[in-house]
Amino acid sequence: MAREKIHVGLEIGTTKVCAVVAECRRDGEVRLLGVGESPSRGVRKGEIVDFQNASNCVHDALSDAEERSDHEIKSVWLAVTGSHIESSNHRRSVTIEGGGEITEKEIEDIASKDKEVSLPKDNDILHSILQQYYVDGREGVIDPIGIGGSKLEADYHIIHGVVNRIQSTIRCVRKIGIDVEDVVVNSVASAHTILDDQKKASGVVVIDIGGGVTDYIVYENGAVRQSGVIAIGGDHITNDLCIGLRIPITRAEKLKIEEGSAILENLSGTEKITLKNDTGFSGKEIDRSMLNLIIHSRLHELFGILRNRIQEVVPIHLLGSGIILTGGCSLIKGVREVAESVFEVPVHFAHAQSITGPTSAFDNPQLSTCIGLVKYAHAVDADAPQESFLNRFISSITRKLHLI
Amino acid sequence: MITYPRYLARQSEPQSLLIGLGNAGINIMDRLISQAGFPMESLAINTDQQSISNTLASKKISMGQMTTHGLGTGGDPEIGLDAAKESAGEIQRAIAGANIIFICAGLGGGTGSGAAPLLAEMAKQNGSLVIAVVTSPFSFEGRRRSQQAAASLRDITRFADAILHFENDRMSELIEPHAEVRETFAICDNLLFRSISSLNRIVTSTGPIPVSVPDMLTVLRHSDDSCLFGCGEANGENRGHHALESALRSPLLDRGRLLHDAGRLLVHISGPPSLSMEEVSEIMREISNNLSPSAMLNLGVSATHDHSSPLTVAIIGRCGAAKRTSVPAKVTPDLAALTQSQPTVPPASKPEQIEAPFFEMPVAHTAHPPEKAPAPKVLQPLLPLDPVTRGRFDKIEPTIVEGQDLDVPTFLRMKLKK
Repeated sequence: MAREKIHVGLEIGTTKVCAVVAECRRDGEVRLLGVGESPSRGVRKGEIVDFQNASNCVHDALSDAEERSDHEIKSVWLAVTGSHIESSNHRRSVTIEGGGEITEKEIEDIASKDKEVSLPKDNDILHSILQQYYVDGREGVIDPIGIGGSKLEADYHIIHGVVNRIQSTIRCVRKIGIDVEDVVVNSVASAHTILDDQKKASGVVVIDIGGGVTDYIVYENGAVRQSGVIAIGGDHITNDLCIGLRIPITRAEKLKIEEGSAILENLSGTEKITLKNDTGFSGKEIDRSMLNLIIHSRLHELFGILRNRIQEVVPIHLLGSGIILTGGCSLIKGVREVAESVFEVPVHFAHAQSITGPTSAFDNPQLSTCIGLVKYAHAVDADAPQESFLNRFISSITRKLHLI
Repeated sequence: MITYPRYLARQSEPQSLLIGLGNAGINIMDRLISQAGFPMESLAINTDQQSISNTLASKKISMGQMTTHGLGTGGDPEIGLDAAKESAGEIQRAIAGANIIFICAGLGGGTGSGAAPLLAEMAKQNGSLVIAVVTSPFSFEGRRRSQQAAASLRDITRFADAILHFENDRMSELIEPHAEVRETFAICDNLLFRSISSLNRIVTSTGPIPVSVPDMLTVLRHSDDSCLFGCGEANGENRGHHALESALRSPLLDRGRLLHDAGRLLVHISGPPSLSMEEVSEIMREISNNLSPSAMLNLGVSATHDHSSPLTVAIIGRCGAAKRTSVPAKVTPDLAALTQSQPTVPPASKPEQIEAPFFEMPVAHTAHPPEKAPAPKVLQPLLPLDPVTRGRFDKIEPTIVEGQDLDVPTFLRMKLKK
């Protein structure tokens, strides 16, 4: 019987806190045991602004997850996001000593050069992801061990963030007595849920539009080319509706979920939506065209910004697997059409890959980050030699974060 | 080509003199002087003996002893002028040697309106660079005062190199309707105070990117009524954005709307030694997003040695509509009327629109916006660049991408660009 390990993924989102408990089997299968959720308070744009409230929500979500999965949670893998998270690509090199054959030592040497990356002084590296090796300038080397040469180079994708801001998220979890195994950036976690190797190889963008922020990650030739966070999310749509239609924020949120659509075509122009009166709100009629236009403008702009950013590193039309949308906001009607009109490549919605368990969770894009955390944890556990060192390093960074 | 008097090039260390004229002028001056490290010489001139004795200025002239017996002018500019003529010699001696003279006065009363033009003339003859910082009265102070102010302003324009003109009416928009009277005047004074200190900072500061006096004059020359001015400062996180936001909130910029009309703009950013290039470029990006593409932009950056000083953004500009400077007196009243009437009639003030959404745009029209109105007005108000529109994101760190504050609803910003 294979040793089975249970991992917990926790995401403190702007809209809700969500915890996923899953069992990771040796054969690569991940079985979902339970999902705990709690509406989020005290989080804005993916970062904690009200510590006490947020901590309570984390507690609620975790106890919910414990109850449903029948598993006592001791430690979690934590997703982090926020506008402070940035990324960049770096190339580094080592000269090969002695006989000219590349050994594990050179690989370790080159991986340990993270310290040499110059970062803003408050920042620290969260992920250092290998893109590719070059041996004597020859590119596209996947496994250089055993190859002869005099110089080994490697491209790395570095994701870094402001230490203090990441710590406050970690502290929020540790405060209630739960250990944090490691922090993973949202987009990296989502990609683990959604992408398989084939998609990564052909080129793909994952866009996770959450409540407070939008995370994105770009893969090309199997490697991360770019990633980032834009602090725009569903909250902005709600806020736009609140201002544009002059309705209370709670009503705007409800309207967005129930009626929200970004489709501008085939509208009669006269269609009205009646908002029933509610406590403190005396009912109102709203133009459907107005509602759709406000949502459309926001999404159109967001995708425009993403397009410009992605195009800096790779032409979008070369991404064979197109764009994959996930996150709560991808549930808004017409979001795909808007994305297709901006990116001009096929746009799909995310499906969780190779995971079993209560089925309702698979297709819920709101859970893709959490499930991704578990899969990430599973990948770290798995004995992948060239990755293990990297992850050891990442966790050493995280431990450092805890200790500061 | 505009030529500049040689003294500007010759003198490396400018000697600035601040003159507070009349009660209002002295009030503002006192406020400036009471700031620590205020670098200018100061001179108080008034007909009212009492106010002279209370001022903090280093030099004082109680003018028109014979004309008014030290009792003030009673709101008559004629008397103010006579008093100034009487004490002309004394004033001349006091201003000799200064090469930048700020004349600070409240127009509308007797001393300010009456003596300011003569003072400006004398300062000009003295060979100084003359910058007049004046306020015009509230409209509720009566027509007579407004007329006196307008006449006086016209005369000052003939002699001053630059005029910063603040209309109290507009400034009061900054203030909540229920504010106390004292508070209202204090806020107006404060705006003037800030404008003078930032002008002085611009002229005297040396920094990585200095602004020369000619640069500033080109922007301010003949700027009479359509002068644009905004100044803001902030500390702490996101200080650049907050400073700019408060600068744009200046009534002389009409909450940022008038930036679109600016033909020439001078932006001066100063801050503590920690002022970073990124902050500068962020601010400039945000400003240029609101500018018309043809606008000329001058940038000055200076850093103080004081670590605790705030980041300050000062925006000085001039409307783009080229005005014939030969007949400024004819042109200005119209413009004044225009600029004055616009803000009081904001677009949403039509009663039937109050409940309506901010804009109504039929869906079919989004691809090709409706035909432009037949006669485009120069100062057609756009939707205000009001920080209020950030809604629930008001208190938290803004999302600024490519120089735009993305927390402001997209549809509002798109509307703004048109």
